[in-house]
Amino acid sequence: MCSDLKVVYEPGSARAALGAEGLAGVDPLEVRQAAQFVEAEAADFRPDVIVVASESPDRDTLESLREASAANPRPVVMFVDRSEPGLADEAVRAGVAAYVVDGLSTGRVRPILEVAMSRFHLMHQLRADLAKAKADLASRKTVERAKALLMKERGLDEEAAYRLLRKLSMDSGRPLGAVAADLLAFAGVLKGGEGS
Amino acid sequence: MTGELQLGFIPLVDAAPLIVAQARGLFAAEGLSVALSREGSWATIRDKVAAGALDGAHMLSPMVFAASLGIGSETRAMIAPIALNRGGAAVTLSTRLAGDEPPGAQLARLARRRQEEGASPLTLAVVYPFSIHNYLLRTWLVRLGVDPDRDVRLTVAPPSRTADLLAEGVIEGFCAGAPWNAVAEAAGVGRTVVHVEEVLPDAPDKVLGVTEYWAAANPQILAGLVRALEAAGRWCAGLENRQALTDLLARPEHVGAPPQAIADSLDQIVFAGAGLARPRPDHALWILDQLARWGQGEAADAAKAAGRIYRPDLYDQALSAG
Repeated sequence: MCSDLKVVYEPGSARAALGAEGLAGVDPLEVRQAAQFVEAEAADFRPDVIVVASESPDRDTLESLREASAANPRPVVMFVDRSEPGLADEAVRAGVAAYVVDGLSTGRVRPILEVAMSRFHLMHQLRADLAKAKADLASRKTVERAKALLMKERGLDEEAAYRLLRKLSMDSGRPLGAVAADLLAFAGVLKGGEGS
Repeated sequence: MTGELQLGFIPLVDAAPLIVAQARGLFAAEGLSVALSREGSWATIRDKVAAGALDGAHMLSPMVFAASLGIGSETRAMIAPIALNRGGAAVTLSTRLAGDEPPGAQLARLARRRQEEGASPLTLAVVYPFSIHNYLLRTWLVRLGVDPDRDVRLTVAPPSRTADLLAEGVIEGFCAGAPWNAVAEAAGVGRTVVHVEEVLPDAPDKVLGVTEYWAAANPQILAGLVRALEAAGRWCAGLENRQALTDLLARPEHVGAPPQAIADSLDQIVFAGAGLARPRPDHALWILDQLARWGQGEAADAAKAAGRIYRPDLYDQALSAG
């Protein structure tokens, strides 16, 4: 999976050297060194992974991009100094995909980047799944409430109420959850006593 | 006590109480041996305090709440036993958007036009999502009739880089703390159009943040820290100390900005007086309200969270024991 790898990282003495050496042999490889993270450049370059130092002021920017759903999130690997106990683990908990401790052997750089990328994509997928599951659950609850409303107002049994919702959904070409939500919203308005 | 305390700060003028307490021996007077650590980002400050790599740090007041409520990071209970300052946050717009009209009128017009034309929205930067700077900019935009989530694009930029980003046209404006508004003005790339006290009068800015765990394990040390910082805040507020404070902050290992920009900024910042240092429960509720208002997150029980995070009781204990 590490073929055709695009990396952005901050040039920083020993770190740049470690990174470059650790990635020797990856082909094709595009590495871009940026003294500072520029969002527009990154969007243009579309890196597979971003490497940043723990002392970099860019961390806040990268973290906010991870939060922003509109932006195109990328895994971030962080260089951590040996003298920063516990920081690496916290950073991972806070959303950094992986970390590299200074003085690490160059041979470990590539596997760490690979793990970071696959972990990031897994997390991304899980988050998307969770959001979908939450939406599905909310939709199911809405359908249940709309069904109950139809049963009460129209004197239908559950099966008939569900069939009616299905028919409304198919006739309007809209999802069942959306139709149910509309129905509940309208019921709220109509309760005001507007004819019937 | 065992070993040296590690305290983190971000290069900003309002880190002054920590820098002064160290330089003027106020920590030492409390029997504390402290090492200050200049950090590059709020995320690193948060992570280091959470991990125990730092015992405490200069923090944005809303950041302590976000960490405690697990918003934007894992949940780590943090507390604020002392407030460090008020004021200094301001909005600076690129000179081409800060004409003679009332501040922001041009910005609002351009934001609307860009939207009508389907062009990319104006980009404005804040220093961190959980900051009064974010809340100040958003509140001000709403007053101008600009929807901060739809009509413009808000991004996060390191304060030390805001002047360059303005000059390069990457951003059209920003909201940051001192001295970075003054730095952009001095560079001729931006003009400060609104200060925090005009929009959010009395908003709490920076605090000392420590984990709840550390505070419970080190009550004596914490009390000493609070006393030293309170004394440092009073020293910072003394007009007769203004020159010495400016020189101290300007040093590269501290804020590392031009002395003139720092001196100009000091006029905007309040470090002591009128109960400033004592964490106020109404401030805690206000911060929780802002987190909720801008869709960042909510506490299940706001009153309980406020009391657990903002700790005037620890402040009172420390000062009465002094």
